[in-house]
Amino acid sequence: MPDNWGFVLAAYGLAAAVLIGYWRRLARKERDLERK
Amino acid sequence: MTRALGGLAAAGLLAGLVMAFGVAPREATQGNVQRIMYLHVPSVWVAYLAFAVVFVASVVYLARRAEAADRLAHASAELGVLFTGLTIATGSIWGKPTWGTWWTWDARLTSVAILFVMYVGYLLLRGMIDERERAARSAAVLGVVAALNIPLVHFSVYWWRTLHQPPSLMKPGGSSMPPVIVAALLVNFAAFSLLYLYFLGRRVRLLGLEAEAAR
Repeated sequence: MPDNWGFVLAAYGLAAAVLIGYWRRLARKERDLERK
Repeated sequence: MTRALGGLAAAGLLAGLVMAFGVAPREATQGNVQRIMYLHVPSVWVAYLAFAVVFVASVVYLARRAEAADRLAHASAELGVLFTGLTIATGSIWGKPTWGTWWTWDARLTSVAILFVMYVGYLLLRGMIDERERAARSAAVLGVVAALNIPLVHFSVYWWRTLHQPPSLMKPGGSSMPPVIVAALLVNFAAFSLLYLYFLGRRVRLLGLEAEAAR
């Protein structure tokens, strides 16, 4: 079976984007609330 | 404490990547696309863990009306939805080259989709009710009921004929996988668990700040 590295990259890239996105969202919300 | 947990989670994720791409061998049947397993399986593990925490915290809230338990349930449900979404997306990406389809309505995939929708509903329910105490009570009831779906998801591959393979690690009689693959999987389980705890700590704190700001 071919290795399908594109699918591997897509899965890990998506996971990185989602997890980093969530982390940044938490940080932004914390900053906003502490400023208030 | 949360900062240290974040550092540990980052180190764990780095170790997990090294194990998945540097140590674990290329799988003989599927080739390198099987490396998605080191992401997909720990994601669903964390989703189960998060929803189990929602269940326990919801029971505690219904028994004692403790705001802390409600915040824990709320934060954990959000993370459960995040990791279930990640499980579904990575499973779909893995399914296309191995099964020839992005999605099929088999028992495992359908039961996971129902689980996902139930907890999205849980979060929507919380957002729709203005009165805090009523929102917490209604969410807690749903948090208890929705958890009944978790065993259904896990055992669906035994109870029905599915395209999805049965569990390779958490199965009766122990794992049949080579020890190096089990080790790579366990490192990623630990890393994802640490990441969940890190996110949970920050989200619970944030919910506390939001509650204070609303008073």
